Amino acid sequence: MIELDSLTKRFGDFTAVDHVSFTVETGEFFGLLGPNGAGKTTTISMLSTVLLPTEGEIKIDGQPLNRNTPKQKRKLSVITQEYSMRQDMNMEEVMEYQGRLYFLPRNVIREKTKELLNMTDLWEYRKRTVRHLSGGMKRKLMICRSLLIEPEILLLDEPTAGMDALSRRQMWSLLKKLNGDNMTVILTTHYMEEAQALCDRVALMNRGKLQKLDSPENLIRELGAFAVDEDEESIFFQNREDAISYLRESKNDCALRTTTLEDVFVKCAGQKLER
Amino acid sequence: MGIITVLWEKWVEFRRDFYKITVAAMISPLMYLIIFGMGIQTTSHGEPYLHFLIPGIVSMATMTGSFSAIAQNMSVQRLYEKALDQVMVSPTPLWQFIVGQIIGGSLRGMYAGGVILILTFPIRTNLIFNGLSLLILFLNGTVFATIALVFSFLAKSYTDAPRFTAYIIMPMSFLCNTFFSTDQMPNGFRQIISLLPLSQTSSMVRSIANGNAPGAFGFIVLLCYLFIFGAISVLFIYRKKNL
Repeated sequence: MIELDSLTKRFGDFTAVDHVSFTVETGEFFGLLGPNGAGKTTTISMLSTVLLPTEGEIKIDGQPLNRNTPKQKRKLSVITQEYSMRQDMNMEEVMEYQGRLYFLPRNVIREKTKELLNMTDLWEYRKRTVRHLSGGMKRKLMICRSLLIEPEILLLDEPTAGMDALSRRQMWSLLKKLNGDNMTVILTTHYMEEAQALCDRVALMNRGKLQKLDSPENLIRELGAFAVDEDEESIFFQNREDAISYLRESKNDCALRTTTLEDVFVKCAGQKLER
Repeated sequence: MGIITVLWEKWVEFRRDFYKITVAAMISPLMYLIIFGMGIQTTSHGEPYLHFLIPGIVSMATMTGSFSAIAQNMSVQRLYEKALDQVMVSPTPLWQFIVGQIIGGSLRGMYAGGVILILTFPIRTNLIFNGLSLLILFLNGTVFATIALVFSFLAKSYTDAPRFTAYIIMPMSFLCNTFFSTDQMPNGFRQIISLLPLSQTSSMVRSIANGNAPGAFGFIVLLCYLFIFGAISVLFIYRKKNL
């Protein structure tokens, strides 16, 4: 279980994360959602100890997490938004470096590297230097690198940013499978359909603050399961009948649809999100 | 152990860039030797100037080799590649990462100094370089690798690394007992310069080269620098909020 207690991060006068508290259960698929600048990446950076909080505390299984807690850090693996890798190493070296940093035996590193690079169709490019890989290949390599150590908790910061639709679906399947094996996954995204498809619970963040925290289904139900789009506004209804009556009475062009997580967020944050 | 992991990483880097590293280590020291030692042929204290110059150039090469190996690499890893994040997240104790960087950086400096020693070997100088000289050069390398670590943690952009070289390494190269004895400097300035690590290293290596025993003071100065900058770099990696 991961506990964030009043986590705050300030950069000078700017508060990137403002007293955020929540708990993620073991084996849960948890989403941190929000527009750019909401504080998602900063929260992930604090969870990975790259940034230290200005206030507050993070605990994993009841034990504090900081830079001097190797036992806690052993449980974590991170896939960052940027390609955080040595650009001058080849794929095999990147994997070996990761394995060595986690004290894995060399034969285990070799076997797992072969398995993971084969799984992601990267094996034949294993001698290629990172700087000569395409964006998609780098992303796959980062996934292989984080899975090499078989983490209990996987932190993903915008893992599908810039991916094509097919690659994104493949990534979703992989994440679902990993979560099915009882791996706790914390994912940040500004793609609402991604969060809706994957997450057990989501935390909606905006301007560093936690706005809402619940399952996507509950958040949608709370807003109203049906939406009528009229001009540039959406009107929400708890049941279909009410929505249809509204449609009939309206003199404007209207369309009926089911409410999405994006509607919840737009309502909550008052901002249009990237689809 | 984390130290071995960092040394392995340094070895991968060294193996890949072997020619670039070797040529870079040779160029400027070799130029100094040719211009000041062979081109402008002078004597110092009744001895050929080259005898004075070689120990200084070797000491300087270990300094620049160690400093540039760490300063440039760590700045790029921290600010541009974000590869330091991989280390920060991992369970490798961060003090081991620091120690690995210091040893790895020093070994790169030793390599640079070794290249110069090999190049000057055909010149019959009768200068003595023994195990103690190597120990002093290693210690010098650790000091400058540690200084480089501190500066790379302070760097705000990866273009800061060349600036640090211009502010620290370049003045030390010329002032710290490399090309001329600090004895000739004015009072006050001389004492300050003689407390800098390269001055002590050059002085000790030169003493051994001329068959004399180095004083203990030089070791104390180098160990003080190593301890102070080592402590700062460990403090930074554990406590700096926005690394």
